Amino acid sequence: MLDISPKDTLPKAGGVGYKPQHFNELMNAPGSVTWLEIHAENYMGAGGRPLAQLRHLAEKFPISVHGVGLSIGGETRLDPEHLSRLKTLIDWLNPAMFSEHLAWSTHDAQFLNDLLPLPYTNDTLTRVTAHINEVQDHLGRKMLLENPSSYLAFAQSTWSEPDFLRELARRTGCGLLLDVNNVFVSATNLHFDPRAYINAYPLDLVEEFHLAGHDEDTDELGRKLLIDSHGKPVDEPVWALFDHVIANGGARPALVEWDNDVPDFNVLEAETARAARHMQGVVA
Amino acid sequence: MSQVKSIAILGAITAAVAANATAALADGDQEKCFGVALAGQNDCAAGPGTTCAGTSTVDYQGNAWKLVPAGTCETMELTDGGGMMHKGSLEATKMNLPAS
Amino acid sequence: MTLDLTTSAQDMTVSQSRFRNALLDPETPAPDGLVTPEGTHAEKRFGVYRNNVSHSLASALVDGFPVLTKLLGEAFFRQMALVYLRIHPPASQLIMHYGAAMPTFLVGFPGTVHLKYLPDVARLELALRRAYHAGDAEAIAPADLTQLDQATLMDTRLVLAPAVETLTSEFPALSIWEFNMQDGPTPTMQAETILISRRGYDPVAQRLPLGGAVFVNALKKGHAFGTALGLATSQVADFDLTATLSALIAGHGIIKIEKG
Repeated sequence: MLDISPKDTLPKAGGVGYKPQHFNELMNAPGSVTWLEIHAENYMGAGGRPLAQLRHLAEKFPISVHGVGLSIGGETRLDPEHLSRLKTLIDWLNPAMFSEHLAWSTHDAQFLNDLLPLPYTNDTLTRVTAHINEVQDHLGRKMLLENPSSYLAFAQSTWSEPDFLRELARRTGCGLLLDVNNVFVSATNLHFDPRAYINAYPLDLVEEFHLAGHDEDTDELGRKLLIDSHGKPVDEPVWALFDHVIANGGARPALVEWDNDVPDFNVLEAETARAARHMQGVVA
Repeated sequence: MSQVKSIAILGAITAAVAANATAALADGDQEKCFGVALAGQNDCAAGPGTTCAGTSTVDYQGNAWKLVPAGTCETMELTDGGGMMHKGSLEATKMNLPAS
Repeated sequence: MTLDLTTSAQDMTVSQSRFRNALLDPETPAPDGLVTPEGTHAEKRFGVYRNNVSHSLASALVDGFPVLTKLLGEAFFRQMALVYLRIHPPASQLIMHYGAAMPTFLVGFPGTVHLKYLPDVARLELALRRAYHAGDAEAIAPADLTQLDQATLMDTRLVLAPAVETLTSEFPALSIWEFNMQDGPTPTMQAETILISRRGYDPVAQRLPLGGAVFVNALKKGHAFGTALGLATSQVADFDLTATLSALIAGHGIIKIEKG
C-alpha cells in the first residue's frame, strides 16, 4: 500500500476524470478540482509514468477508481485475472471509492471496449447480484454501480432501470453512482421523462454523481438520438436535471468527465466550478 | 583469457562509461512525471456521434477495397548501399545478420 | 399455420453471443428483441454500439501505432484497423497493449503485403509501448562498472531493467521510425539491430552493433558477462563491446551488478 495518509472520502464538491495532459495543472493550480477519478485499466501496467503520476496525484487528491472493463453484466464468469489485477491496484492505492458499470464488455474472452446494454430481467438480476457480491468479496470493500446510457431497449425487459438498480443495491449492499448525463441521454433516446426517473431512483443510495457532455444524432425515424460521447461541455438541460437531483437528494461528490477532444485544463476546471456552484447551499 | 584481451575488455567498459559521463543528473520523480504520456487508453465514452461510421462493410479482397496506402511510405525513398532506389516497396537485403 | 408463442417469446431473448456476433459483423442484422421506444426493430440504434466498438478500437490502434499510421495514411490505416479488429478483437481489457498481432496481420493483409518493412516497424512500436508500461527500476551508476577487475567481471551478472528488449530487423526499422517521428534523415536500406529501454519514464530506442542483440539477450537470460561476451564474439568476431555497453548505459538498461 502507498505510504501516504489515505484520503478516505471524496468531498461533496467538484472532481474531474484524470487525463495525463492535465498533470501539471493539477499538481500546481487545480482551482476548483478537489478530487480525481481514474480509469482502473490504465493503471494496470507494471510501472512507468502512469503509476508514477498516480502516486503523486494520490498524495494531493482523494482518488476514485472507476473500472471500465470488469464486464459485471457478462453472461460468463468474471475474468479472475482481471479481478486480481484490480485487487492489486486497489490494495496499492487504497482509493476513496471504487465504481463500475451496469453493463457488459467481455464475451468468449473477447474484450469489446464498450459498455454494452443488458435486459432488465430476473435472470440478469440474479447474475449481476452474484458478480457484484464476488467483486465486493474479492476487493474487501463496497462498490458503486453506475447507470448506463441507453440507445435501445430490450423487448424482454420486465424491470424499470431505477427499480432494477434499487434491487441490486438491496441484494448486494453496493452503493450507486448516478450519471446525470446518462439519465438524460437514455430518457431522450427511450422517450421517458428524466425527472420521473430521478423521482423513482433511490437517491439515498447515491455516493457519487457523474456529469458529461453528449453528441446529437438521429434514429431510424429521424428523431433525436443522443450519444454519450464525453466530448463537449455539459448540456444545459443536464444542468437543470442536476439541479432537480440535488434538490431532491442533496449534494454528493460530483465528477465532470471529458474523454474525447479533451480541452485545456481551464475549460474542464470551469465545468467543475459550475458543478460545485450548483451544489452550494444544498444540504446533503 | 589472454592479458591483451582482458585489457581490451576493461578498456571497452571504461570507454562506454566515459561516453556517458556527460549525461545529465536525474530529475526528481515528480519532474520526470511531467513528460509525454503515451496514448492508447481505456475510457467509458462513446465514439463521436455517428451511427454509421462503424457499420461500413470492408471487403478488402474484392473490388470494394479501393484504398491504397497514402502516407509517408509513398514518399520515403530508401537508398540501398549500391545507390538503388526503392520506393514504397522496400525489399529485404541479405545482410550479415547474426541470430539473436 | 399455428402460432407458436413459446418460440416467439424465446426469439426476444438476446444472448450476448448474438449481440457480439452482430457487433463485429456488419452483414449480420441486429438481433431481434432489440427495440425502439415503439417496440420496432432497433437496427440503426444498434449501429451506435457497432460504431463505439469499431471506433474506439480503431482509435486505440491509431494511438498505439503512430508511425504505421503516418506510413500508411490515417484513412487507409483506419480502414485496415476495421479489418484487424474483427479478426483480432482484444483478448485483454488493457487497451494499452492492444495490437500485438499487428506484425503478423500486416504480412498477410493485401493492402500492405508489398511493404515488407512494416511488420518490424509495428514490432518496434509494440516494444516501445511495453517499455513505457514496464516495471520501474533504478539504473546503476555507470562508474560502478569500472570497479571490477577482469576475473570478477567475467563471472558477474549484469541485471537488466524490465523494459530492455532487442529487435533485429532486416530493414532500417529504427531509421524509418525516426524519419516519421523525429524528422530523422531519409532511411538508407540496411539491417538494424535495436535496443529498446526506458530512461526515467520515457522509452528510448537505440542502434546496436552487430552481435549486440546476442550479448543483451544473453544478459537478459541471466548469463554472466563472460558467457554473453563469448556468445557475441563467436557470432561476430569484431563484436563492438564498447558501443553495446554504451547503449545499455545510455538507455538506463543496467540495474544491478551481481558478482558471481
